[in-house]
Formats: sequence, C-alpha cells, structure tokens
Amino acid sequence: MASSETRAFGASIMKFFKKLTYAVFIWFLVGISTSFAESIAFDKTQLASVKMQNMGKQWLMLLWSVDCPPCFKELAIIQKLQGQHDDLAVVIINTDANDEINAEREEIIKKFELGNFTNFHFVDGRGDQSRFFIDPNWYGELPRSYFIESNGKFHGKSGLVNQSILTQWLVN
Amino acid sequence: MYTLIYRLLLCVMFFLLLFTVNKSTAAEHNHQAMVSKVVQTENCKEIEVTCAKTVTSVFAPNDDLWRLWAQNTSMYFQISIDNGLTFSDVNRVAIDKEKISARNENRPKIAFDKYQGVYLSWATPKEKKHTADVRFSYSSDYGKTFTKPITVNDDNLLTGHSFNEMLVTDEGDINIVWLDSRLSHQLRLQGKKTKGSELYIGKANYRKNETSFSNKQLANNTCVCCRIAMDYNNHGELAIFWRHIYGDNIREFALLTLSKGENSQQTPYQISYDHWKINGCPHQGGAISINENNRYHMVWFNQGDVGKGIFYASSTDQGKSLTKPISVGVQSAQAAHPHLNTNSNNIDIVWTQFTGTEHELWHQRSTDNGKSFTQAVMLATAVNGSDRPFIFKKDKVSYVSWHRPKQGHLVQAL
Repeated sequence: MASSETRAFGASIMKFFKKLTYAVFIWFLVGISTSFAESIAFDKTQLASVKMQNMGKQWLMLLWSVDCPPCFKELAIIQKLQGQHDDLAVVIINTDANDEINAEREEIIKKFELGNFTNFHFVDGRGDQSRFFIDPNWYGELPRSYFIESNGKFHGKSGLVNQSILTQWLVN
Repeated sequence: MYTLIYRLLLCVMFFLLLFTVNKSTAAEHNHQAMVSKVVQTENCKEIEVTCAKTVTSVFAPNDDLWRLWAQNTSMYFQISIDNGLTFSDVNRVAIDKEKISARNENRPKIAFDKYQGVYLSWATPKEKKHTADVRFSYSSDYGKTFTKPITVNDDNLLTGHSFNEMLVTDEGDINIVWLDSRLSHQLRLQGKKTKGSELYIGKANYRKNETSFSNKQLANNTCVCCRIAMDYNNHGELAIFWRHIYGDNIREFALLTLSKGENSQQTPYQISYDHWKINGCPHQGGAISINENNRYHMVWFNQGDVGKGIFYASSTDQGKSLTKPISVGVQSAQAAHPHLNTNSNNIDIVWTQFTGTEHELWHQRSTDNGKSFTQAVMLATAVNGSDRPFIFKKDKVSYVSWHRPKQGHLVQAL
C-alpha cells in the first residue's frame, strides 16, 4: 500500500514537473520574442538620452519611412554590416508618425534583423515636431542619416548613403 | 530512473530560465535602459473626416462641394451646399472594401462630368512592399452607386503603380496619370540598373462605353515618391508637371504638354534648376495652373545647392522659357508643400510653415501675372499634424482646402 502511495505521489510530482517544464518552455519562447527590440516612442527626452549614451563615440542615426524605397536599401546595408561587425553604434528612427503602420514598421525591423539596435518611431500626429527638434533645417526628405562625432556634433545627409561610407564611419 | 529524469528536467529548466533571463537583460541593456515602451495612440475608430490623414475636395458642376477621404479599407464622402460651412452625413463609396493609399503625397482623387457622373481613382497597395495598382470606379447617378472597380494599369505586374492624378472633361473624357514601375521591374529581373519610375497616362470614357484604359508611357526616370500635377491649357491639351531625375540623381521639375497637333512635344522641358541631388524621397511634388491666356503658372519645392525652398515661375510658351523663379514663403520657417491656382487675373499660392510646435497655412496672391505678390498672410494653424493644402475654385472664387488630422478639415475662400 505504502509502495502504491509512493508511486502515486511520484506520478503526481512528475506531472507537476512536466507542467512546469512546459510553462518554462513557453516562458522561454515568449522571452525570445519579447527580447526582439520593440520600437520606442520618440521624444526630446529620448533624443537627449541617446545622445548622452553615445557621447564619446562615433555613431549613426538613420531615419526611415515605410513609404521610402531607398530607405530600405540603407536598412539592408545596416543589416549586412551588422552581420559582419559587432556592436555597431546605430540608432534607427521611423518617421511615419502614423499608428496605422505600427505593425508594418515592426515587420520591417524584424525582416531586416534590426531589432538589436535601438529603434524609435515618431508618435502619431507629432512627426514634424520630432523632425524639428532633431534638426530644424531638415524638411523630411528620406532616408536621412546623421553622422555624429564623438563630441556630439551632428552632420546630416539626405538620400541613400553607400556601404563604404557607412562602414568607414561605423567600423573603427 | 525517475530521479534521473527529474534531475535532467530540472537542469533543462534551470538552463532555459538562465538563458531567458540573460536574453531579457541583454535586450534591456541594448535599449540603453530606456524605460518608455511603445506608446499606442488609440486608433481613430469613428468614421469621420477628422480621423482621416488626407482629404480631397472639389466642386461639382452643380456647385456642390465634395470632400473625399479614405479610412480603413473604404472611401467616404460628404457634400456641402454652402461652400464648406456645413456638410451632409457621411456616405460610404459603395464598392467592395480594399486597401487605399491615403497619406502624404498619395490620396484618392475625385472628378465630375456634366451629366451627374462622379469619377474616383486611387491606388491600392498590394501584398509586396512598394507595389500597388491604380484603381478606378465610376458613378452615373451622382454617387448613389459605383461601378465595380477596375485596375487602370494593364501590365498585370506586381510592381509600383501609384501617385495617380485624374482630370475628367465635362463630356466624360478621363485622363489618369501615374508613376509606373513596370519597366524598372523588368530591368531588375534582367539584372540591370534602374533609375526611378516611368510616367504613364491612361484614357477612357465610360459615357461612350470605352471602359478599359489605354496605357501609354510619357516619360522615364521620374522620381518615385512625389505627386504629379496637371491641368488643361486653353487648347484643351494636358500639361503634366512632375519631379524628374536628371543625371546622377538630380531631382528637378519637368513639364510636358500633350499637344494635339503634329508638332507634339517629345521631350519634357526642365523647369527647375535648383540642383537637388538626392538618391531618396523628397515627398514634395509641385503644382501647375494654366490661365485663360495660356500662361503656365507653376510652383515647386527644392533643397538644392542652387535653390532651396519654394519657387514660383510662369511660362508663355508651355515651359520652353520661364520667368525668373520667385522665392515663396520663409525658408527658415520650414516653408513647404506649395499649391497654386489661377482665377481670372489672380494667382493664389498656399503653403505650410512650421514653428516647431504648430503648422501654419500661408497664402499670397498676385494680380499681375505673377510679377509681384501681396504680402503673405497666415490663414490657420494646426497642432496634430498637417495634410498638404490645395486650392480649388468655383466660378470667380478660389478656396483653400487644408486638412488638419484630429482637428478638422478647413475650407476657406481666398
């Protein structure tokens, strides 16, 4: 009798561990998916913060839109460079400022495997405000790349930047 | 045996736990300790014009003012009988739902004939990114019913066909122009380099039972993401004004008149010489309006080495020669997105400026064929973003249409 009780207890413990294992496995999978960097709403504080965090190093801020075919080419170059070099100092900002494209934006970040970079997006209805506090002399043409020196000085360039220039800037 | 399995499971669990925590920590680190998550502004659920990103307005021949917008997968319209002071209830365009491009430079278009005909044209995005078809539907009963939409581009290719503009004559002759990527699509398949899109025109007349659109290429190497502008000259010929790619990504404006006679213009005239070199998307098209004396008036925006900002110029020979471009608006105040229209002796130009917190709608007028303009006047402001402003007219009065998302659609006599 004691032996059958022990077996029953053993079976229930095993069931418990099985359930726990599944739960942990699901937690693990969720962990993988959520660890993919989700885009962050962009504001002045975020800009100040990202500037401060990158102070002392040469970095790139790339702005793009889902409606800009050349932007995709520059995202693809960053994807390629990421595969070749570790720790690229790149911050990526989506400028659409439109909640209707949120899913599309995340899909593109995922497609180009850019989730490990810090990704921001302009908030719906606040696109021009965001553009203006980054650079009041920029009119929204895309892609827009800012080459930022280690002392924090910004150099903006509109249009697709080629791979060699990006490599030269990002890979020291 | 069981003990061994338990231990193994515990080890696996511990490993998974550790790995997951590590991943989360790494992600947090990568985010540089920023705590703000995605802010999900609640999508506008109501079907109303304030929820639209873009609005298209035009007067019908009976003097009704129509406004049209897209929301979700439908188009909606309202009619005003008092020049935009009040509008009818919202009407859904009675066609099957489909995606409709309606943001920034892209938006549905509406036109009328003099027989109660209503004409709609729009672009519908396809499953692959940056591909779309130009679509069309016609109502013979002033918007009560619409024909089943058809695709205007006839190439059956999954490629870009977008930025459609439409003009319809009183007799129902439909002209739709759009940016088309069929050639660049084919060149890419052959491994060849491409430069921009092509400018296409499609013609049909539903009143004459010509219900499939002709497709004709008018130009190659156009900018891929700026709206096109067009108007009729006083010979009833179409003049088309668009951003072209010259040389190595020099984005300048070009003008082509589709002359009816034998001396048809083959090569577009280059209008701007601002030398804006950009391998990218300016997202800023121009505007054209031709007055009763066949003077072409044009306005555009550039950020070139030679010219920056908004410029106005006119031509008495269809663009072959041009008046000296006049700067419009305050460049340092983000003057952009100009539009213009002519009405008798008046030339009205509107554009937007931006203070850093508010958008402003500005206007100025010339009464001497563009030789001089009145001092610019600010007409309105917007706080939640700004659609492009457009001028349209009824008889001798010109109106500006300026949609301000989540704020309202402004219609004002100039």
